[in-house]
Amino acid sequence: MKRNSIIRKGTALLLSLLICLGASGCQAKEEQAELDLSQTSFEDLVEQAKGSTVSFYGWGGDELINNWIDTVFAPQMKEKYDITIDRVPMDIDQILNKLSSEVQAGKRDGSIDMIWINGENFFSAKENNLLYGPFTQALPNFKNYVDETSSDTCYDFAYPIEGYEAPYGKAQLVLINDKEKTPETPSNAQELLEFVKKYPGQVTYPAPPDFTGSAFVRNIIYEFVDPEVFVDMEADKENVKAAIEPALAYLRELNPYLWKQGKSFPATVAQQETMYMDGELLLHMRYESYWIATAIEKGMCSQTSRSFLFDNGTIGNTNFVAIAQNASNKAGALVAINELLSPEIQASRYDQLKILPVLDNDKLSDEEKSLFDAVDPGPGTIPQEELLEKRLPEMPVKLVPIIEELWQEEVVGK
Amino acid sequence: MKRQRLVPLLLLLPFLFLLAVFLLGLCSGLVQSFGIVPPLGLTEPTLRYYQELFCSDELWRSLGYSLYLSVVSSVLAVIGGVLLCSALVLSGKAKGRNKMVGMLQLPIMLPHVVVALFAMNLLSQSGLLARLLYALGMISGQESFPDLLFDQAGVGIILSYLWKEIPFVAFFVVTLMAAVNENLGEAARNLGASPIQAFFRVTLPLCMPAIKNAFLIVLAFSFGAYELPFLLGPTTPKALPVAAYLEYISPDLKNRPRAMAMNSIVLFISLGMAWLYYCLFQQKMIRLQGGKSDEE
Amino acid sequence: MKSKLSLCCKGIVWLAMFGVLLPLIVLLIWCFTERWAWPELVPQVFSLRGLREVLGSQALMILHSSILLSATAALIAVVVGLMTARAIVFYQFPGQKLLLFASMLPLIVPTTVFGMGIHLLLIRVGLSDTVPGVILVHVICALPYTVSIMTDSTRAIGKKLEEQARVLGAGSLRAFWSVSMPALMPAIFSALAMAYITSFSQYFLTLLIGGGNVRTFTVIMVPYLQNGDRTLAAGYTTLFLLITVLVFLVFRKIVQRFYPCLEQNRE
Repeated sequence: MKRNSIIRKGTALLLSLLICLGASGCQAKEEQAELDLSQTSFEDLVEQAKGSTVSFYGWGGDELINNWIDTVFAPQMKEKYDITIDRVPMDIDQILNKLSSEVQAGKRDGSIDMIWINGENFFSAKENNLLYGPFTQALPNFKNYVDETSSDTCYDFAYPIEGYEAPYGKAQLVLINDKEKTPETPSNAQELLEFVKKYPGQVTYPAPPDFTGSAFVRNIIYEFVDPEVFVDMEADKENVKAAIEPALAYLRELNPYLWKQGKSFPATVAQQETMYMDGELLLHMRYESYWIATAIEKGMCSQTSRSFLFDNGTIGNTNFVAIAQNASNKAGALVAINELLSPEIQASRYDQLKILPVLDNDKLSDEEKSLFDAVDPGPGTIPQEELLEKRLPEMPVKLVPIIEELWQEEVVGK
Repeated sequence: MKRQRLVPLLLLLPFLFLLAVFLLGLCSGLVQSFGIVPPLGLTEPTLRYYQELFCSDELWRSLGYSLYLSVVSSVLAVIGGVLLCSALVLSGKAKGRNKMVGMLQLPIMLPHVVVALFAMNLLSQSGLLARLLYALGMISGQESFPDLLFDQAGVGIILSYLWKEIPFVAFFVVTLMAAVNENLGEAARNLGASPIQAFFRVTLPLCMPAIKNAFLIVLAFSFGAYELPFLLGPTTPKALPVAAYLEYISPDLKNRPRAMAMNSIVLFISLGMAWLYYCLFQQKMIRLQGGKSDEE
Repeated sequence: MKSKLSLCCKGIVWLAMFGVLLPLIVLLIWCFTERWAWPELVPQVFSLRGLREVLGSQALMILHSSILLSATAALIAVVVGLMTARAIVFYQFPGQKLLLFASMLPLIVPTTVFGMGIHLLLIRVGLSDTVPGVILVHVICALPYTVSIMTDSTRAIGKKLEEQARVLGAGSLRAFWSVSMPALMPAIFSALAMAYITSFSQYFLTLLIGGGNVRTFTVIMVPYLQNGDRTLAAGYTTLFLLITVLVFLVFRKIVQRFYPCLEQNRE
């Protein structure tokens, strides 16, 4: 009896507290003051940002990228603008969860300024009003060096960007194998099937929703269905299923010859990578075109490893940087993003990280062009012209989860 | 009399405060499972997510798989852990600060992601174990090494859990067991019991509360954790926490109610298991102590 | 008979040692390995990249604050655990069992479920992105371990000795301090160790609550573990283990310093 009343009172207290907290959060959200970009020149931004700190949230699993930010980009920002770059390693899903909680609670001086983001996460963040913008027009380097009309700058997974994120680097799916072990470089779905039959049990791909595995499945779909078909496709499961059925059938046909007979797939591309390096798998794939060069240089992969593409092309996309809706240092973030778009920085990323630049070649001066031309992409890579020539667009963002779901239902273990 | 009431309340105050913070956090998580996520514009409470889940076969298969993994690994972990702990106590290695005992604690410190890396390194078909057998000519190639990882029997997951949790159980129980064995076991031996008798009749029963706690912790943990089944498990069926985790990290924030509904199911089953175990165990305790409850 | 038993026991211990150490030896080898492909039993390509990266990384610079944070959280969790244990073991009040049961909850509930809620709460009271906020959640996560370890040992020791001391005229605090504390020391050490590990390896909650303002070693380490670069993963893990072991040794030294002097007090 007594205990019951305690529990009842406790629950009531908890609930009322929750409601109070919820209500107070909603109020605070309304009165947010915005940085008005139409009234502020870039010089004003630089002045405002002087001496401030910009927190840069993004994936932190690659030591080269981390070191580059810490030892090239951050010192340059400090020297040029007296801005401190504070790199925070965090996965994008966690960043968005943190950001959405902050926005929900009405926190105005948000802890996240800049976010490394793209595709589905950008879509989700923008749809839920977690991002600040449009801001790209305020950046001199964006106007001077980026092709504003190209589909790569206007759309991210076919979703309109509308100035809410600025391009950062280009990526493209490449297949990788070792010419000593496997002389073939399958150049289409049919050849891949023959390859898989020749090396049974030694080929697989990461299970979607792994980012790379999911891109591979979409790439296979493009082998059977023209990319144009998907541009305006309604995000309806039956509809999508009917359209991609030949690709699903093909993937099922691969299954018996795959690693673990297609009953299981590696959960992450990282796992696929360790198995490729250990010689358990003969084919690898990365959504970073020139990753192979750094891997060979480190000695993780054999000298005879090389990357290749399908003749019809592989999926490419751009990754971007965005600004959090409640960022406490928007001015600093804008200056930093502008700097990321400078030819100097883009060339340095190309040189040290082998990340494809996002600048428009036609807009560069000869001197600036020579910065990029001087870079040797490294061993095992595909020339940049070939990559750009065989580059397929990403699918509309709304179709991606549907395809992943269909793969789960129609391909695994079938 | 008044003091009798005030003292425990004072002692409990910090705990109650922390518990309240935790419960508040928990509640707002659970509220989301009913489709209430204001920042995403979801405000209507609904049972839709639970209904959808309970109607899918996937959920039941996942649930069964999770139960299988956690029960098998925690039962084995407790058996192994108690065995190891007893061996340590009886061989006198638990006394003082033995270096060996220290080394045995190393697995407890390591994150599960690292354990998954170890498992890949040792147990995969290109792992060290397979290479050793191949070098000895006992297998003809990678494919003749048994599928320990990524298969539905979950051997790799269970072995990885055991690697971490046998030392945990041993470590959890060893302090108490060493003390009990030293004081009471000694008394029993003085009264003429053999070391084994003294151990099984006196020491082990007295350590049961700690063993029980260790089992509960290991069971609850392995039922709710996603790392090992995610990294070492089959693509289908997915353990329930893995499915919930994948929903949670899905870029579409609107999937969160589903993730939370799955998590609540995990939570309620863990609670149920714990409660059931608690009730069962208490009856046993009463019998052991000749009708006296152990709550004094 | 007796020697057979002890032989058997030793066998079990050695077997366990082997099982524990084998993966750790492989870990050590991987610290210096770039490539180690089937079917070789020895790595093909060695490198010092892992060592260089780990020793030159940001992780080392924030090490002391990270250790301090976890040690503080562990200490608080143990004190709270000890207080809770005494309330539960020595006093009768309604809802006792429920409370003990509730103390296990943070272990059972996935962090993703309560993390978001706590984060919202802490933002509103201004504790998010601060060290105290992070310590608070770490303490919550460590409570199941400290409460259960302290409850078990408090129950095992009982309060007879303490009562005797009080009969002899000692105040209740003094009686606890000089009689029960020494007996509880081994358990306190275990609880401290478990709480420290829980806090030091906490990834998700530290990031969520602490963001960029509170850096811990684990927050920097975990992305590398997930990336499949085993050279780096092995390097970070080895460092992680070394630090943890070192911290434990220091804990023990402190406890040992405490312990004999208390022992003398009792006599």
